Amino acid sequence: MHYLLLWSFPLLASIGAILIKNTKLDSALVLIHSILHLGLGIAFVMPQNPVAIFFGVDSYAALFFLISAILYLASALYTYGIKHNLSPRQSSIYAVCLMAFVASMDSANLSQNLGLIWVFVETTTLASAMLISFEHHKESLEAAWKYLFICSIGIALAFVGVLLLIIAQGAVPSLLVPQILARVGSLSPFWLKLSFVFMLIGFGTKAGFAPLHFWLPDAHSEAPAQVSALLSGALLNTALLPLIRMQAVMQAAGEGRIAGQLFMGLGMLSVFIAAVFIIKISNFKRLLAYSSIENMGIILIAFALGGAAGRAGIIHVMGHSLVKASLFLTAGNIYYLYANKEYTKCSGLLSRHPASAWLWMLGFVFIIGLPPSPLFLSEFFIAFAFIQSGNYLLLAIWAILLSIIAYGLGRAILAISMGKSDERAKLHVLSYLPGYLLLIAAVLSPVLILIKAF
Amino acid sequence: MADILLILFGISLLFASITNMLSGIVRILVWQGLILFALTVLKTNELNLWEFVFVALETIVFKAILIPWFISDTIKKNKTKREVEPSVSNFFSLGSMTIIFAFSFFIALWSGKGSHSIYPLHFGIAFAAILKGLFIIIANKKLITHLMGYLIMENGIFMLSLAIGSEMPMVVSLGVSLDILLSILIAVLFIKRISNTFDDAHSDELSTLRD
Repeated sequence: MHYLLLWSFPLLASIGAILIKNTKLDSALVLIHSILHLGLGIAFVMPQNPVAIFFGVDSYAALFFLISAILYLASALYTYGIKHNLSPRQSSIYAVCLMAFVASMDSANLSQNLGLIWVFVETTTLASAMLISFEHHKESLEAAWKYLFICSIGIALAFVGVLLLIIAQGAVPSLLVPQILARVGSLSPFWLKLSFVFMLIGFGTKAGFAPLHFWLPDAHSEAPAQVSALLSGALLNTALLPLIRMQAVMQAAGEGRIAGQLFMGLGMLSVFIAAVFIIKISNFKRLLAYSSIENMGIILIAFALGGAAGRAGIIHVMGHSLVKASLFLTAGNIYYLYANKEYTKCSGLLSRHPASAWLWMLGFVFIIGLPPSPLFLSEFFIAFAFIQSGNYLLLAIWAILLSIIAYGLGRAILAISMGKSDERAKLHVLSYLPGYLLLIAAVLSPVLILIKAF
Repeated sequence: MADILLILFGISLLFASITNMLSGIVRILVWQGLILFALTVLKTNELNLWEFVFVALETIVFKAILIPWFISDTIKKNKTKREVEPSVSNFFSLGSMTIIFAFSFFIALWSGKGSHSIYPLHFGIAFAAILKGLFIIIANKKLITHLMGYLIMENGIFMLSLAIGSEMPMVVSLGVSLDILLSILIAVLFIKRISNTFDDAHSDELSTLRD
C-alpha cells in the first residue's frame, strides 16, 4: 500500500497545473516528476536498500519500474525539443493525464495484489485514452475510441479472471500473489485454469498479443511521439507483469504445462501476425507498432520456454522497451520533418538531418537483434532453449518469421534514410539526444540484469 | 426471495434480446441496477452503515440513475435514431441467448461438484450476463449500443462478485467502481466528440484506420 505515496507528487502537481494554467510550468512539472521518478527507480535496483524494502518491491517490480522511469525521463526531455502549439488549457490537461498515466502504471508495477493491479491497469487506459486523442483529428479520435473500448472490455474479462481465482481458493481467499503462492496446494485446478485463461485474454488484450491486438497499431500510430514511446515501451510491460506472476502461480500449482502451451501459442501467433502485416503496410509508425506486437510475442515465447529463456525474456523486455521508445521518438522527428507517415513518400533523411537518420538506422540494427543490442542476447538464448527442448520445427518457423520482419522493417527504414534531399533541416538537440541515450542504456541493460542476478 | 430476483435478472437479459428501442435497453439497465441493490442487501448478512451507503451509491445512484440518465441524454442530444438496429434478427439473438444460458448453467453445474463456494443459479445468471454483454457488442453497429453492452457485462461482473461473497477488500471494490464510472464518462465524452466529427456514431464509420 505504500506505493500510493507515488500519487502524492502527481496529485499536488495536477492541482497546481489546473489552477495556474501555464505551458512552461506544465512541462517543468512533468520534468521534475520524471527526474524524481528515475531517482526512485535507481534506488530500487541498488543492492540492499531500505527504499525497496519500504515499498515492498521484488526484482520484477524494480526492473519494470526502472524501465518506465527511464522512458518517462526521455520523453519528458523530448517534449522540450519539439515545437508544439498547445493552448494553456490543453497543456495542463496533457500534463495531468500524463502524470496520472505514469503514476497508475507504477502502482500497477509495484503492486502484488491482483485486485489493485486490475484497478491501476484500467486507470492507465482511462488516462492514456485522453493522451492519444490529443491531436483532435478524425483519426486520433477513432484510435482513442477503439483503444478505450477494446481495452476496457478486455480488462473487464481480466476481472472475471480475478473473481474466478477467488472461487478457486475456496475459504479465506486472498489476492496477494505471495499468499496465493504460499497455499497453492489448496487451489481448485478447474477454476485456476479458467481464471488463468480469462486473465490471459484480459491482460493480453492490453499487452497487445494477437489476435487481440486490433487497437494497438491505431493507438500507437496516432498518439504524439512521446506518448507512443511510453505506450509501447512501458504500458505493454505493465500489462504483461500480472501474466508473468500468474504463470508462477500456475507452475507452483502443477499446471505450468498448460500455461506454457497457451503462452507459446499466443506468442507464435503474435509473431506471425506481425510478420504478415509488416511486409504489407507503408505507414512507418504502424510498422513500429506491429514490431511491438512481434516483440511482445517473443517475450511470451521466452516465458513459455522457461529456465534460461525466461531470464532472457526479462532482458528482452528491457531491451525492447528502450530501443522501441528511441525509434518512436525518432519517428516523431521524421513526421515533423516530412509531415507524412507513409515511408514511400519520405526519403533522404541522411542528408536532411543526419543525426536523426543515424539514430533511425541504429535503432533498426538494435530492434532486429544484431549485436550490441540486448535483443541479440535474448534471442540467442531463446533459440538455444528451443534446441534444448527439441522444438526444431517451431525454431525454424520462428527464425523465418523474424527474417521476414527484419526485411519489412529494413525496407522502410532504409527508404526513409537513403535518397536525395537538397533541404537541410535543423532540429533542437533534445529531439534526438534522448534517443541516443536510450540506445546507450539498452546496451548497458543486460549488465544491470546480470548484477541483479535473476 | 433472492432466487426470484435472480430469475428476474435473467428475464431482463432475454428482454434485451427482443427489444427494438434504445430506450428499452436503458430501462433494462435501470431495472438491473435496482435488482443488484436488492440482491446485495439480501445476500450480505451484516451490513454496517458505510458498506450500506457504498452499495447504495454504487447500485442505485450509479447503475440505476446516473449512467442511464447519461445515456438517454446522449441519445437525445446526438439525435441518434431510436431503434437498436442490430445486425442480426431478434429471433437469432433470442436463440443465442438461450444457448448462452445453457452454456453458463452447464459450467456452473459441471464445476459445482468440486467446489463448495458457488451457487449454480447465481453463478449461471451472472456468467450469462457477461456473455450477453459481449454478444450485444459484437452484434451491433451503434457505439451507444456498444456502451450498453459493456454496462450489461459490468452488471454481470458485479453479480459474479456477489456470488463469491463479500471477500473483496474495500479498496479494491471502491477502485473498481470508480474506474467503471470514469470509463463510462469518458466513453460518453468520446461518443459526443465522434458524432460531432463523423456523420453518424456507427462503428462502420470508424474505418479510416486499417491495414
